[in-house]
Amino acid sequence: MESDIILVIVVVTALAFDFTNGFHDTANSVATSISTRALAPKTAVGLAAILNFAGAFISLKVAATIAGGIVDAQIVTPTVIFAGLIGAIFWNLLTWYFGLPSSSSHALIGGVVGAAFAAAGAGAIKGAGLLEKVIVPALVAPVVAFLAAGMAILIAYRMVGGLHPGPVNRGYRLGQIASLSLLSLSHGTNDAQKTMGIITLALIANGSLAGASPDPPLWVIVSAASAIALGTYSGGWRIIRTMGSRIIKMDPAQGFAAQTGGAAVLLTAAHLGFPLSTTHSITGAVLGAGAAKRLSAVRWGLAGNIFLAWVLTLPCAAAVGALTFGVTNVFGDGALGPLLVSGALLALMGVVFGKRLQRGPALTTAGSA
Amino acid sequence: MIAAIDIDALLELVWAAPLAVLVVTVAWALVIRGTTGALEARRDRRAIPAARSAFVALAGAVLFAMALAFGLLIMLSKS
Repeated sequence: MESDIILVIVVVTALAFDFTNGFHDTANSVATSISTRALAPKTAVGLAAILNFAGAFISLKVAATIAGGIVDAQIVTPTVIFAGLIGAIFWNLLTWYFGLPSSSSHALIGGVVGAAFAAAGAGAIKGAGLLEKVIVPALVAPVVAFLAAGMAILIAYRMVGGLHPGPVNRGYRLGQIASLSLLSLSHGTNDAQKTMGIITLALIANGSLAGASPDPPLWVIVSAASAIALGTYSGGWRIIRTMGSRIIKMDPAQGFAAQTGGAAVLLTAAHLGFPLSTTHSITGAVLGAGAAKRLSAVRWGLAGNIFLAWVLTLPCAAAVGALTFGVTNVFGDGALGPLLVSGALLALMGVVFGKRLQRGPALTTAGSA
Repeated sequence: MIAAIDIDALLELVWAAPLAVLVVTVAWALVIRGTTGALEARRDRRAIPAARSAFVALAGAVLFAMALAFGLLIMLSKS
């Protein structure tokens, strides 16, 4: 009975993380399209939500372990997963509050690393895995996307520069709809898998699912797809505003270059078995599309804040994951600790969202995009 | 610890990703250039330039569609 309660808490927390993942990452696929008026805000998030939902069904290759190759699989218990998820949710909400794009995957890895450290010490962390799966991709993704998008905008300006701006802008807006669709589908394919993996692992640990690496049950697939789609549809408008108009003021050609640059880097990396962060790639591409036109067009101070958030993602999510594990452990191995932590987090979120809503709807709706 | 990094895949990414971006960007620019040129030539009743521009637009559209299809195939091949 006790373990069933913990299982339910882990499943609900995993779906909450999935929602924040969609909510936080909406900007990656829709921000440039909204900014260049390729699509109306609600249409863009609606399309992204549908394609994220569909993407979750495309690939069912679920990761057997959370943060596999980064922490010792033997010490990953439902309580460690729960604490890791809380660390990731905390970081996603904090960066959303400040309107900063950051990687949800790295936040989840950070949370689990912190919880594993609190549970079993430094020996449970695999430094080589951390280097390979977090640090190197975090350095490579923005640089390659920056160069690719910079090159794309220079080529685009050279090829269509002499034409009337009207048809050119209409053409690039149309192209952006295709690149938005590809990005959203790709995001659903990649990110919904994480939640499916977490829930599947929790089910195996609880004895509710047999086998070494079984396929996730249908309800897991549908609920993970629904949570990420709902999160996407809710729209993290603060981050959308940052990505779409605060880093650079972009024209449709720049929006197209940023989206296709980011998408091409992500899909090429996936093809080579070298998964990169969607957020890092798209942000790097937006910076590249702006800097190639004019270096001073980029708000480098804001870019610096974003880079700082990326550097802090792993340690901050890890600290919250470790703290959550510690607090949960005070109440023993049972369900009381996770229940109390979940209750406290829900109350905190209620207060934060309540205060933001009191300041006016412009901070939380499409109006601010 | 450095041995954990797949240097080959990393280097391939550094040239393959910009190449993919180049293909997509050129393809879509051809679509825009071809379509605009075809419409202008048709308006001026110049049949041959209109047909030539339309062919350029079509070639760009086919290339762009192939790039999108390749992207979809990459996603599907993960399953």
